[in-house]
Amino acid sequence: MSAASSQEALRREVRDWLSQNVDAGWRAAMTDSEQEAFFALQKEWFSELVKAGYATPHWPEGWPGGGRSLAEQKIIYEEVARADAPRLILYFVALYHAACTLFECGSAEQQSRYLPAILEGEIWCQGFSEPNAGSDLASLKTRAVRQGDHYVITGQKTWSTMAQYADRCLLLARTDKGERPQAGLTYLLLDMRARGVTVRPISQITGDDEFAEIFFDEVEVPVEDRIGEEGAGWAVAQTTLASERGLTLVELSQRMRYALPLIVDAMRRSDRLDDAAIRRDFGRLITHVDAACALADRYLLKRISGDEAPGDASIVKLYYARTLREFTALGKRIAGLDGQYHRGFMRGATQETGNWTVDFMNSYNWSIAGGSDEIQRNIIAERMLGMPREPRDWTLKGQGA
Amino acid sequence: MTPELNQLTDSARQVVAGLGLGLAADEQEAYSLIAELGWLMVSTPEEQGGLGMGLAGACALHTELGRGLATVPFLPQLLAISAVSSGAWPGQEIWLESMMSGERRVTTSLGESSLTVERDGDGAMKLNGRAVALASADCASHVLVEAADGVCLALLALDQSGVRITARPTWDVTRRLFDLEVSDAALDPQLIIAQGESASLLRQRLAILRDFALAADAVGGAMALLEMTVEYLQTRQQFGRPLALFQALKHRCADLKAHTEAAQALLQDGLDAVTDREGDVIATPEAEMKALAVKQLACSAYAAVAEESLQLHGGIGMTSEHDCHLFLKRALLNEHLGRRQDSYDRGLADRFIAGLNQA
Repeated sequence: MSAASSQEALRREVRDWLSQNVDAGWRAAMTDSEQEAFFALQKEWFSELVKAGYATPHWPEGWPGGGRSLAEQKIIYEEVARADAPRLILYFVALYHAACTLFECGSAEQQSRYLPAILEGEIWCQGFSEPNAGSDLASLKTRAVRQGDHYVITGQKTWSTMAQYADRCLLLARTDKGERPQAGLTYLLLDMRARGVTVRPISQITGDDEFAEIFFDEVEVPVEDRIGEEGAGWAVAQTTLASERGLTLVELSQRMRYALPLIVDAMRRSDRLDDAAIRRDFGRLITHVDAACALADRYLLKRISGDEAPGDASIVKLYYARTLREFTALGKRIAGLDGQYHRGFMRGATQETGNWTVDFMNSYNWSIAGGSDEIQRNIIAERMLGMPREPRDWTLKGQGA
Repeated sequence: MTPELNQLTDSARQVVAGLGLGLAADEQEAYSLIAELGWLMVSTPEEQGGLGMGLAGACALHTELGRGLATVPFLPQLLAISAVSSGAWPGQEIWLESMMSGERRVTTSLGESSLTVERDGDGAMKLNGRAVALASADCASHVLVEAADGVCLALLALDQSGVRITARPTWDVTRRLFDLEVSDAALDPQLIIAQGESASLLRQRLAILRDFALAADAVGGAMALLEMTVEYLQTRQQFGRPLALFQALKHRCADLKAHTEAAQALLQDGLDAVTDREGDVIATPEAEMKALAVKQLACSAYAAVAEESLQLHGGIGMTSEHDCHLFLKRALLNEHLGRRQDSYDRGLADRFIAGLNQA
């Protein structure tokens, strides 16, 4: 069978499976829901996807569901978006960040210890960002002090997605005050049930709490749970951050395309279906959504052919974030006063739910998290356009670098 | 892009660079050169003696011509060739050959027209009305006319009685546009290319081709101008440092880059959506929507780059000594060629909503 026809067969197979297995009622069930219901739905959907072999297409050959090409992974994500299936956000860090880091940088022993548990539903979170180390991640201060056969961790992490549910944490900590801030970092796998770990969910402006802070009070991590050498954590962290390879934005931009009828619903509800000004702005939005899809698509094709250039990923993310803001802002505008009345949010939902003020507020996730728009613009300007980077020692008088 | 397209792009870039930017090139010489290079044959199928590179080939050339602010009226002739090559009509072979070689020149309206056809008692067809934005019409012997109601597409001799062209100088000096006024001009039955249903399908295909071509021109112009602006910011020093070091300016350039890349991605992506296996344009509602989106985004990106570039160049950008204004004026004109500017956005929304209602 040719690559094209086997891909077409995969698309059909995934589409059929999704049409039989996605519970169309999930959105209603997740609206105004309790955490327990969310947890249960994620768990169930995860185990169904694992069983069908669609949770781990990016894993290497030999693992259940693994060995799929990037082109095949893209098909699975496109179909998931098309079927409006729930997003697997509870397991995302485990399936992508943890697994890919283990595959690329972990020892054989670490792989056999942690990867099967991920397939059985172990939940992971990421411990990278800190209150004073966001965009400037390398300046992080959580300390790991070597004492015999373990490290002792003290410090605080924040913006850790789903940390309150997590069994394990991918931790980036400082073992040394190196010459360069990146040099003294070490990558550890931390048991979230260990003594000294405290998790505090962060209450978001929408009422949701997808993120949490994690406090470490002399938490012990065995040395065998270190990934890579001591001091090599920055490079390992880059592997973690590169693990999803543009697939998320293929999925999310496709979901945004399928969500365009929500705007038409809003127009109908507010009796403004024939409003010329809104139609014009909607037309512009359709174009931008189309372009966001084209960018995400072409980026993935470049990755498949090995033609990715520095800054390409930043363009995709920046453009998606701006378009999502435009989408949700237009919905909010059309909804008018109705959109301002409080309505409970949808747990673990996609970015577009038709609860416009919530959607609008949530759109900031994409312009802030994972490298803010401003960071993306720096990358584009410096690495694509070749504009100079500002000198490191630009500080106000009396303050150190 | 295929290797053939990359090759075409590379050689076109060299040719256009050799011509020099904008008015540096003599329009007639440039025209002879591109005809000699076979660019006029780019989209015509191989079995009709063309290069068979389809819409993608045409867009690759338009992108490069846009980069160089080329004055050569490539698009009107290409649209006319596309019309002449479609279907089967009496003069097809002769006209196609002489137009692809550049020997016969036909202009086409790049704007909206309001031409109508009437049949008199003996069945002779008479044309009336106006068309705008005929590029370099004074160099053409004929014009491709489309009756607004889709009744027919035909070639009309510009020197026949009842036909008048008037030069309409634009702010964009890289184009020379003309108005066409027709009163009771007889249509030569030998020069009718399509009628009825096939005429309206052809009309849609030409509109898609035109929108993609303008978009490609815009993408090329936006890329060239952004490169020029970044280079200027790197060179110009104020407060003891290059302007390119200021984050406020870098971020604006980054946004323009994202806008331009998005337009290019949509254009490339759209090529597949609006063409068949041979690379020829198909007239489906989806293809039409794609063309609206592609043209709208590319022209808005070009205009955004042009408007910001003028500002980023400071005072020098306001002077006619600098090339900045040439890009700005071409960008602004591109926004208004094709359909009415607002009708792109509106058209997309209307078609989307109609599509939902049908589903």
